[in-house]
Amino acid sequence: MDAAIREDLLGQIRGVVGDRFAFADLYEMRLYQYDASPETALPDIVVIPGTAKEVAQVVKICADARVPITARSGASSLAGGTVPVEGGVVITFARMDRILEIDIDNLRAVVQPGVVNLALSQALKPHGYYYVPDPSSQGACTIGGNVATNAGGPHTLLYGVTVNHVTGLEVALANGELVQVGGRNGAEAIGYDLTGVLVGSEGTMGVVTRIWVKIQPLPPVQKTLMAVYPDVAAASNAVSAIVRTGILPAAIEMMDRLSIQAIEAASHAGYPLDAGAVLLLEVDGTPEVAEELGQRMAKVCRENGASEVRVARNEAERQALWKGRKGAFSAMGRLSPDFYVMDGVVPRTKLPETLAKIDAISERTGFKICNVFHAGDGNLHPLVLFDAFKPGQYEAVLRIGDEILKLCADAGGSVTGEHGIGLEKRENIRYVFSDDDLEVMDRIRRVFDPQRLMNPGKVFPGEGLKPSQVPMPPGYPRRQPGAAIAAGEDVWV
Amino acid sequence: MGVKARAQALPGQEINVDEQRGLSVEGLLPSTVMRPEDAEDAARGLHLCDLAPAAVVVWGGGTQMRLGAPPRRYEVAFSTERMTRLLEYEPADLTCRVEAGIRLRDLQAALREQGQRLPLDPPHPERATVGGMVAANTNGLSRGRYGTVRDWVIGIAVAYPSGKVARAGGKVVKNVAGYDLMKLHIGALGTLGVVAEVNFKVQARPEMETTLLTHFEAPAPALGVGLKLAHQYLAPASAIVQDHESLPPPLAGEGRGGGRWHLALKFEGYAREVQAAKDQAVRFVREAGGIVQEAEIPSAFWDAARDWSTPADDEVVLRAIVPLAASPLLMAAVPPDARVLAQPASGVVDVRVPAPSAAATLSRLRTAAGAEGQVVVVAAPVALKQGLDVWGPPPPGFPIMRALKQALDPNGILNPGRFVGGI
Repeated sequence: MDAAIREDLLGQIRGVVGDRFAFADLYEMRLYQYDASPETALPDIVVIPGTAKEVAQVVKICADARVPITARSGASSLAGGTVPVEGGVVITFARMDRILEIDIDNLRAVVQPGVVNLALSQALKPHGYYYVPDPSSQGACTIGGNVATNAGGPHTLLYGVTVNHVTGLEVALANGELVQVGGRNGAEAIGYDLTGVLVGSEGTMGVVTRIWVKIQPLPPVQKTLMAVYPDVAAASNAVSAIVRTGILPAAIEMMDRLSIQAIEAASHAGYPLDAGAVLLLEVDGTPEVAEELGQRMAKVCRENGASEVRVARNEAERQALWKGRKGAFSAMGRLSPDFYVMDGVVPRTKLPETLAKIDAISERTGFKICNVFHAGDGNLHPLVLFDAFKPGQYEAVLRIGDEILKLCADAGGSVTGEHGIGLEKRENIRYVFSDDDLEVMDRIRRVFDPQRLMNPGKVFPGEGLKPSQVPMPPGYPRRQPGAAIAAGEDVWV
Repeated sequence: MGVKARAQALPGQEINVDEQRGLSVEGLLPSTVMRPEDAEDAARGLHLCDLAPAAVVVWGGGTQMRLGAPPRRYEVAFSTERMTRLLEYEPADLTCRVEAGIRLRDLQAALREQGQRLPLDPPHPERATVGGMVAANTNGLSRGRYGTVRDWVIGIAVAYPSGKVARAGGKVVKNVAGYDLMKLHIGALGTLGVVAEVNFKVQARPEMETTLLTHFEAPAPALGVGLKLAHQYLAPASAIVQDHESLPPPLAGEGRGGGRWHLALKFEGYAREVQAAKDQAVRFVREAGGIVQEAEIPSAFWDAARDWSTPADDEVVLRAIVPLAASPLLMAAVPPDARVLAQPASGVVDVRVPAPSAAATLSRLRTAAGAEGQVVVVAAPVALKQGLDVWGPPPPGFPIMRALKQALDPNGILNPGRFVGGI
């Protein structure tokens, strides 16, 4: 951006939010050039608005100046969703992080976009309620970001993803108008379901400034068990067998041999080191029901080849079992300086053949690939281990990722289950959608954002600058080695 | 060539007078009927209508044809009656893909063979089609527990006036690739495209199901218990509050111990869970002064309750949806000549009202529903509809809705005039 234009824009924005909360200093802006994905791009200006009205005014200023707008809050996107690849203004929600209302009577909460996911459930806990979607980065990611990506998590197997729990949004549209769609009532609001369309639109339609969510009573008991298998195929078959029994588990997670080794080295969760695969299963219920279902699942696990089934007897043992799973990503640092994570989905019954194909890719290319994932809904997270400082490795890993996503799509699945398309998979989206499909989506986008200023360069293929074309100051690192590992404490999927 | 003549030149079948009458909408008659055989065929047919241009009303089972304002024009009846295939169903994946014209009952029967179901129970499943359920966003009495249509649709194929079929979502239960256009078409009343195929996630049938019928002298305590139950972990699958005048005939006057209102509860789930939930409900009911009916409840009870809001005759039905805690206030505004079915777990109150007082009741309920509530006329004789504001004032964000319509149906051939704000 031309320096004079930037100065003028910064002046206008400061007129709205105050001098302290808008800046264009290179040093300060470095924080806002990246998220949990490997790509980086510098914004021209960063704004930290304090109110929805300020957000709308800033959007209007940007729209009038035809400057791109990228919203971010937790910035734990693994798909580059918040990287301002076309520069412009980054709006960050560090100051809009309040829970506005806890409305037990109507089973709703109203929050600002910067509220950390876990903070809402913690605030609800004394009342006996919680907000169900629990993306694995819930200690760092925000509900605004969850809305943008339609985030999932382990417990979405039974309870659904973000969109199933959001009933209304207040959004700053590209014309600077602040509009409320849906609300406390929600799902059957009069007119088109704009709430449903906005959730998961990855910031390409507007900037969300307020969110109405459903809350529900905490389950009295969560029963967790671990089942040990000789290989991932046997564990996958057990998952299908459990689903066929009619039991509805709240979560089914799987870890393969390599992940188990990394996890055990890091967090000593008690997973057997000689296991080929470990399943973590959880059911919710009253104490009697959870106990019964736990036993029934244990039986099915054994009948399907589990060499060991361990049921958590108390909350401490339950937390210990989950600790390994939750720490899986940061544990990868024990195996490799870098990893690249994918987010493919396949129909549950295609898990064994898909995992075998991924294994074959690993054999062929020589890159180790770990699998830690939501087995219950077929949401794979293959992690390709590599060293970004070795020339050519990053490029090779991107090609492996592309190949894995293609085989997920070919198996009848999807290229992203919960991370979003973002910057990373905008070409891969073609594996699941035709030009006609994308053309309709683009028409919808242009209704909301005719100038294509809202988080441009995301979701849609073949448009805008690729990260490697983004102008950066001389000598500036193009990508961040070890970024995902560094963020691993907060980012696990 | 005039519009009529152009419509008549369309390749659909000419129809006889009887058929024409069967496909009438709010007194208007079509001149042509199209019965596409699949999604691509539907898109080709729609494109011809768009070129004419000829106004299209999409027909599924016809159970919700009285929803919405009378159409501005109507030339082509676009029927999904030949699109009835179950295209894919893998029980172990808990997903299926169907054509829009499949009847709910037929889909549920196929799922039942595998011990599974779609936990949506819109009215008249023997006639209602999947496409109609999606377009009209018809939800049954279990929405408090299982959610609505939008919570179970994971993918969609839509035929557009452009002649293209475009898909969104997919066949897997977790998927965030691309925009969620399923949401856009659910409840859009076919004004943005013709829903041609739908992918669902499904679930295992519950192990056990049981009903508890309880009686109260006044609606408030019945609603109160329903609300309290909605806040419990062991919530019922369905909860309805009705006055006895609305009870289906086999139950009227049986073992109600003088109460004038009943709270009917359906419990589903694992056996132990159902028993615990029922015990808890009995306790709440007795604490609130209600009477628990011991006599067995015929299974037809829930079918009748499900269909109650879609009467076959010319009755006026209003549907109010308010935040949960506001439903007692709304109930208090219902005049004595109206009949009520309230769902305390979802804030939905359906009201049947005699034609002469419909307008007054509508206005009263809109006031009571307040800024956060809504009241829609879901059925009314056409003569009466002309004088009623069927949808109420357009919601905030309406300019976006109108622009969406313009983007997807630029010539306005799809169900013109039926939807919110004249869309």
